[in-house]
Amino acid sequence: MVLKRLLGAIPLLVGITFLSFLIMRLAPGDYTSMMMDPRMTQADMAALRENLGLNQPIWMQYIKWLKAVLQGNLGYSYVTGKPVLGLILERLGPTLLMSVVSLVLILVITFPLGLLTGAKRYSAFDGWVTVLSFIGQSLPTFWLGMILILAFSVKLDWFPTSGYLDPMAEVMGGFASIKNIALHMVLPMLTIVIGSIAGFTRYFRFGIIRILNEDYIKSAKARGLSDKRILFKHAFKNAALPIVTLLGLELPGLISGSFVIEYIFAWPGMGQLGIQSAFSRDYPVLMGLLLMTSVLILAGNLLADLGYRWIDPRIKHS
Amino acid sequence: MKKALFAVFLGGLILLGLGCSKSSSKVSDTPLRLVLKAEPSNLNSILHTDVPSAEVIGLISNGLFRLNSNLELEPDLLESYTVSDDGKTFVFHLKKNAKWSDGHPITAEDVVFTFDTLMSPKTNTVRRGLFVIEGKPVKFKALDTYTVQATLPEPFAPFLTNMSMGLIPKHILQNTDINTATFNQKPISTGPFNLVVWKPSQYILLERNDLYFGSRAKVKKIIMKIIPDSNTQLMAYQKDEVDELQISPKDVDAVKKLPNRVLYRYEDLQYTYLGFNLKKPWFSNFLVRQAIAYAINKPALVQTVLKGYGKPADTPCAPVSWAYPSADQLVKYDYDPKKSEALLVQAGFKRNPKTQWFEKDGKVFEFTLITNKGNPEREKTAEILQQALKQVGIKMNIQVMEWSSFVKMITGPKDPKPFDAVMLGWALGTDPDSYLTWHSSQYPAGFNFVGYKNAKVDSLLVQGRREMDQKKRKAIYQEMHKLIASDLPYIFLYYPEVVISIHKRVQGLSKPGPAGLMNRIEEVHLIE
Repeated sequence: MVLKRLLGAIPLLVGITFLSFLIMRLAPGDYTSMMMDPRMTQADMAALRENLGLNQPIWMQYIKWLKAVLQGNLGYSYVTGKPVLGLILERLGPTLLMSVVSLVLILVITFPLGLLTGAKRYSAFDGWVTVLSFIGQSLPTFWLGMILILAFSVKLDWFPTSGYLDPMAEVMGGFASIKNIALHMVLPMLTIVIGSIAGFTRYFRFGIIRILNEDYIKSAKARGLSDKRILFKHAFKNAALPIVTLLGLELPGLISGSFVIEYIFAWPGMGQLGIQSAFSRDYPVLMGLLLMTSVLILAGNLLADLGYRWIDPRIKHS
Repeated sequence: MKKALFAVFLGGLILLGLGCSKSSSKVSDTPLRLVLKAEPSNLNSILHTDVPSAEVIGLISNGLFRLNSNLELEPDLLESYTVSDDGKTFVFHLKKNAKWSDGHPITAEDVVFTFDTLMSPKTNTVRRGLFVIEGKPVKFKALDTYTVQATLPEPFAPFLTNMSMGLIPKHILQNTDINTATFNQKPISTGPFNLVVWKPSQYILLERNDLYFGSRAKVKKIIMKIIPDSNTQLMAYQKDEVDELQISPKDVDAVKKLPNRVLYRYEDLQYTYLGFNLKKPWFSNFLVRQAIAYAINKPALVQTVLKGYGKPADTPCAPVSWAYPSADQLVKYDYDPKKSEALLVQAGFKRNPKTQWFEKDGKVFEFTLITNKGNPEREKTAEILQQALKQVGIKMNIQVMEWSSFVKMITGPKDPKPFDAVMLGWALGTDPDSYLTWHSSQYPAGFNFVGYKNAKVDSLLVQGRREMDQKKRKAIYQEMHKLIASDLPYIFLYYPEVVISIHKRVQGLSKPGPAGLMNRIEEVHLIE
């Protein structure tokens, strides 16, 4: 089955990239629009377009791109002249760090919250968690980020305003560097977590409510097991199942990063790269990002399916 | 700002400062901490296109000339030069003690290599046109190790200013693809500082260049932090994570409250304007353009939008430039809404008593002003203009566009172009040559997108390029600026000022002006 899925992914990827290439080119202007510079003559503009291959038909540009990719070459950024793969790799680390740590934190907070609010549906506790988490979700990210910087950095001086790793801390290396990155990470991470609590909690809450209505729980109740025992022994394990699906779906999100967060906190990640490339019409970088995201979406789905089959024997048999 | 203004980099930015106190201060171990408002594209002086790159390159690269804080050219890597009587042949003698930061001497070969590379059609550069005159390239030849000859097809006055472009090293870059060379990220230096490391989207770390041919810098290290968000920049400055910040007028009050900071303001070489599509019937009528000009209260605009940090504009030249005409020479269109209405009536429009809009041939006088997204000052200006024009009975719609779509609309090769009026800004070079924005040959393809055509201006633009005598050039450009000011192809709205706040510990700054406060970076030092 895995092989079949993998083979099926190839035409899918070609289709996705071709369509995206077309859609990307529908946006008006190209890289040379960025060069609206009173020094630049029309002859130079034409030479530049020719050097970058922008004067060729779109399908030909796509075929050239595809050919190079098959040879393992994602091309060079129009803006910086750097290899696309290098550009992506140097930003992957900070983004992964931020998203993995935040995701773990979100799960650690929201899974128990979801469980408890689900088990005590419509209680005062459920109500408060719901209200507070929805407030968190409805705060605009850029505003929340600013407020956090203002409060915890400018006023209280607990954390740096922005950045990833200070040059001086980098020189010291080792623990000093790790501590420095951690300090830089707190505020952006907090912004992400506060914004995500509501969604995840509701998801797990719904999961546990559904499970508590299952026949086996009813029969456990009928057998006279305590609520606590039912919840932790029987419902808990099954409620953890959706996490696998979630993780599969979150995989591409983990590497794409959040532009708003990265922009506000000057975090050197993929989100900034993506948006900068989109605005400057840096096609090779955009295509590189797109290819990588598509592969991860497909891989994430496949892994989630496999994980499910492994954990939940009902799926294997059906 | 990067997208909002078309920046013209002012060459190697290392200038003779004022009040240099060489004796008193010691070399500081504390780094000078500056802000870059976006990630630089690359650090190659012939390739880069953006302001952040230019800011870094200014500290590590030199050309034959540089601009001083009076905006005058002075020798940089140059010892002396001679020019032939016909103004076409220049012989440049280089300084013999100048070295690249890897120890190689800087020679005539590097100069020739720099310009040969620039001229190659394979090089992705915006600067080739600076060295192509009447369709023919300037030719460079090494006469000996330290002597270069440049031969121009025609005399070209801006040539020496253009020679302030930084050099690139032949011994590193020959036989490489210049567009993708690793040099572009890890350049060696000719300037007072060396690049130590560039952490993408984080910071650039520079260290004093001990092989620099000029005087040794007084700070050992410079950290340039890349902070894209303007609010975060401001908070980083408030928290003293950076020593200096250029701020927008709206943030001046917040910065004024901070202890130990000094606020500087100075005029810049730029202006913001409303440009008419002169090929549209309404705007080809001079009376209509005048009517719109009289409807706009420029001093009020400067107060509201720029909080007073700027001046009303009247011509496509900044008052700090030597080519700015004396004030009495310029036709001024001072705010006068009555006159505006009278001019519209004279142009055959009638005010509809019901709707209050002016009409002609049954059509309401209505047009759309386009401007680019991401510049709040410009968007605010557009809204104020909309109200002002409504007062005199003209209906103006506003369309704020994403940059690429916007540029495509105004510079596309179509004739007539698909816009009515545009609001934008131009950053000017120190040389007043503005052939590419005003000459009629630069329409429809080119930057004269409003379609301005005045035979007298065309001929002055050509004369100004050929005349080598500074006094005569001054007269030519003053005349030209006078003509354009009265013709109103644009309504010149305002000259924004630069507002910079700097911590008191930073000393040794240059005279405030378009050439920058840290133009003589060697003299900048920190006191505890």
